[in-house]
Amino acid sequence: MMKNYIKIAFKVMLRKKYYTALSLIGISFTIMMVTVFASFIDSVIGANATEVNRNRTLIFDKVSMYKAGKETASAPSYPFIEKYVAGLESTEYVSAFTDISYVSDVNGRLQGHHLKLTDENFWKIMTFDFLEGKPFHQTEVKTGARVAVITEKAKEYFFNDQQAVGKSIAVYGNSYKVIGVVEPAVGYSKAYADIYLPLTTDTSVYSKPNEISGSYCAMLLAKTSDLKKVRTELRGRMRKIRNHVSGVDSVKAYAFTALEQFSKSSSFRDDEPEYGKTAIALIVVLILFMLIPAISLINLNLSRIGERAEEIGIRKSFGATSRAVINQLVIENIIITLVGGLVGLGLAIYASQLLVVVINSFDPLFKIPEGSLILSWRVFASSLFSCLLFGLLSGVYPAWKISRLNVIKALRGGNNL
Amino acid sequence: MIQLSNIEKVYRTKTIETIALNKVNLGINKGEFVAIMGPSGCGKSTLLNIMGLLDSPTAGTISLDGQAVTSFGDKKLANFRNKKLGFIFQSYHLINDLSVLDNVELPLLYRDGVSGSERRKRAMEALEKVGLSARMKHYPNQLSGGQRQRVAIARAIIGDPEIILADEPTGNLDSVMGEEVINILLNLNKTDGTTIVMVTHDEHMANKTQRIIRFFDGQQVN
Repeated sequence: MMKNYIKIAFKVMLRKKYYTALSLIGISFTIMMVTVFASFIDSVIGANATEVNRNRTLIFDKVSMYKAGKETASAPSYPFIEKYVAGLESTEYVSAFTDISYVSDVNGRLQGHHLKLTDENFWKIMTFDFLEGKPFHQTEVKTGARVAVITEKAKEYFFNDQQAVGKSIAVYGNSYKVIGVVEPAVGYSKAYADIYLPLTTDTSVYSKPNEISGSYCAMLLAKTSDLKKVRTELRGRMRKIRNHVSGVDSVKAYAFTALEQFSKSSSFRDDEPEYGKTAIALIVVLILFMLIPAISLINLNLSRIGERAEEIGIRKSFGATSRAVINQLVIENIIITLVGGLVGLGLAIYASQLLVVVINSFDPLFKIPEGSLILSWRVFASSLFSCLLFGLLSGVYPAWKISRLNVIKALRGGNNL
Repeated sequence: MIQLSNIEKVYRTKTIETIALNKVNLGINKGEFVAIMGPSGCGKSTLLNIMGLLDSPTAGTISLDGQAVTSFGDKKLANFRNKKLGFIFQSYHLINDLSVLDNVELPLLYRDGVSGSERRKRAMEALEKVGLSARMKHYPNQLSGGQRQRVAIARAIIGDPEIILADEPTGNLDSVMGEEVINILLNLNKTDGTTIVMVTHDEHMANKTQRIIRFFDGQQVN
């Protein structure tokens, strides 16, 4: 039966070229948009080759200090992280980092670089693929050794793709010895940078040892997926601060995973995230994203299927139940949607690359890597799922409507819907 | 085999009420070949559609093969049409997107437990019976009217129905083709014992059947 459905689906597609073209354009563009959107979200919140533990990596990037009921919020300082956040029992590793930028000039070629000042634990939380050399270790961080790990892209710029380890690069007037070369991380992730340096090479890092606010963030790799435990422990530590740091009544620390940061309802609460409003808003946007083209497709399908009334009448005369008719038409619609979806996925690959080119054109000095929006298997799977959903959404109503048509009326032909 | 009791069919619009069938009582025996005749608009096709469970009567009861079918739901009706009935229409009603073989296979597509190879085999046998096995890969629009009607007959008989309902099967054909088609039907009735009810305008064709039932203004007149 399925073979018959598939056969007729393709026959109808070829016979009704106008409808097919219109449907395919609508479906493929919708799927392309959904895929590019999903690809962007995935690069911001999803696990990737470098951040395999993203679901248990909390980003601590904000502290709120309260004094006489007045709140001051900022990023934490490195000494604060070192003193009050490092060594939480519920974490496997805690790593501090900050991002700065630097423009270099090599043989008259200006190039912007994203620098990440970090510590040895960064390399333990992240799983970088080292093409050359190794990461910096605790000794190098402790001593403030001027060493650097660079990406393949930076290697190409500084050394024309020749071997980089052992050679030096100049950053802000200082010479750094390259000790490792890595594959670039995903463009919109916390792992991303062009050059990684030990944070202690920043001479100002300990200039205000008792300051809570600063310009650092911390990554907290939880021992288990029980993130609540980490936050509870962190809150416990923050409560003790009152006795240690003068000048503040209380301190709140905000530590959330990338997904939590993206989807939680309020950015002003340090307790467990509530997904309520943001998640609902996101779901509504996604449904609208699919629903509006689906409604257009329903209209198109009503015309397309309506013209097949005679065929439906014939099938019912010879024993097709209304359910069999619905199944056939929905399956046909899913086939068309999948064809459109595959075209859309192909387009999405090009569109996401085009988007990177467009983004890079705004800031040619600080280009994000070309592969920043590469489709992951998760995005691919969710797009295929979207196709099925789209096929179902746009096919069920017209199929149901024609399945209820009186057989005699249907046999007379013409568009009866 | 077919028992219609007090069948009425009334078409109502906001302003007008048309009585298509008025208290029809009719019995057709197993293995009979019956022709229904009458002027256009007398209710012949409506009667055939009601017998074939394609349309429902406004009042009255239908019994087919001993079963009261008036209260059947969609699934039961579909199952009954699939197993017990075969239709032949004046305008063939073949699916143009499907090959001759696929068109003939159609009723078995909706029958549980029939494999693809079994469907194919039986479709080829049915086409053999109507002398069209050489055209199985053709599409309906590549065939003549007579050939299309033979495909329609093959489709009607593939499921071994006990009743064939033919609505002016020769109406769109010339006399030679019409003769071919009626001979196939006569042969089916004779050799397989299939009950056939045929609506026709053609007295010559009707005279070949065992009984002629005449209709006028929605009522049986003989």
